[in-house]
Amino acid sequence: MSERGIVLSVTVKALVAALLLTGPAAAHGAFVDVGATEAVAIHARYDTGEPMAGAQVSVFAPDDPAHPWLTGVTDADGGFVFVPDERAGQWAVQVRQAGHGAIGYVAVGTDGAAITVTAASTDLSWAQRLLMAASVIWGCIGTALYFRRARTAEPA
Amino acid sequence: MHIPDGILPLGLTLGGWAVAAGLTALSLNRIAAQPDPREGLPRASMMTAAFFAASLIHIPVPPSSVHLMLPGLMGAMLGWYAMPAILIGLAFQAVMFGHGGLTTLGVNAVILGLPALVAFGLTRGLGHMTQRAAAAILGFATGAGAVLLAVALFAATLLAGLPAHLDAGAERAAITALALAHLPLALAEGMVVAAILGFLRRTNPEMIGAR
Repeated sequence: MSERGIVLSVTVKALVAALLLTGPAAAHGAFVDVGATEAVAIHARYDTGEPMAGAQVSVFAPDDPAHPWLTGVTDADGGFVFVPDERAGQWAVQVRQAGHGAIGYVAVGTDGAAITVTAASTDLSWAQRLLMAASVIWGCIGTALYFRRARTAEPA
Repeated sequence: MHIPDGILPLGLTLGGWAVAAGLTALSLNRIAAQPDPREGLPRASMMTAAFFAASLIHIPVPPSSVHLMLPGLMGAMLGWYAMPAILIGLAFQAVMFGHGGLTTLGVNAVILGLPALVAFGLTRGLGHMTQRAAAAILGFATGAGAVLLAVALFAATLLAGLPAHLDAGAERAAITALALAHLPLALAEGMVVAAILGFLRRTNPEMIGAR
């Protein structure tokens, strides 16, 4: 199983914002305020394309990188949604499963509304991977040929 | 089966680097003591290429997938050269494809390097073996055993470095599932090592002795 592949994307989702209970006049009356807020949606997958289902998510607030602000588990599609509070700065999201995982970053602006994703995964195309692998392999072949030749060139 | 950056606590990554440095120093020392240390370099270089490329080949083992690790083959083919070869191969995998990481390079080198050196120790007497079947069984046990040892080291390292805020039960279950997915890989690598060593015994027996 290989690692990597955490893609962060931002979506605006309508979420239930607050549950307001009124006073004794309406003894069992309840009001639900529904509002829209901005949430961060995470989609985590392995670089083989399969989703990281049931992986553990740790969200770290900008001012405390040592202790998770929120923990959770990804759904079957490797998805996870959270709403950062108003703290501005770089939020870190780690997704990990059985020793594999990655960290992504989300920048939350001072006005609280602007969420920008700063780091996403470096997705390499099939051809790029092949070229990179071929370069390293060629380097190894070159090294092998060099030491082979150097040995035969010297009189024993 | 590479641990990426940001998974292990600092103590384990530093410890991994220390053990990897020790094993590499020991290996380089033994290589330098050989009559011609350069003689093994072409083969070590070619095996490094194979080791590097192997991690890119995914074998689907439902529900997940595994990739070739080759610690047994590296140890059986390279002897003391296996440790530096694995270190270099892992470094390229980390830098080029993000498989593993630079902070965890030491830990990953130990996870694969130690089984490779054990495999080297197991196959040392292979050149003197006269029975073909016994040699094949030893080759298979070496290849399969090295994968199992690497998986055990991987799981032990992860469990030792599990942060408190994670759901330990879920992570243990995920690690167990991943370890079980590697059982077919252990069989496959055992057969690969047995086949390659068997071939070399017939065609090029001095190559096994020259390590």
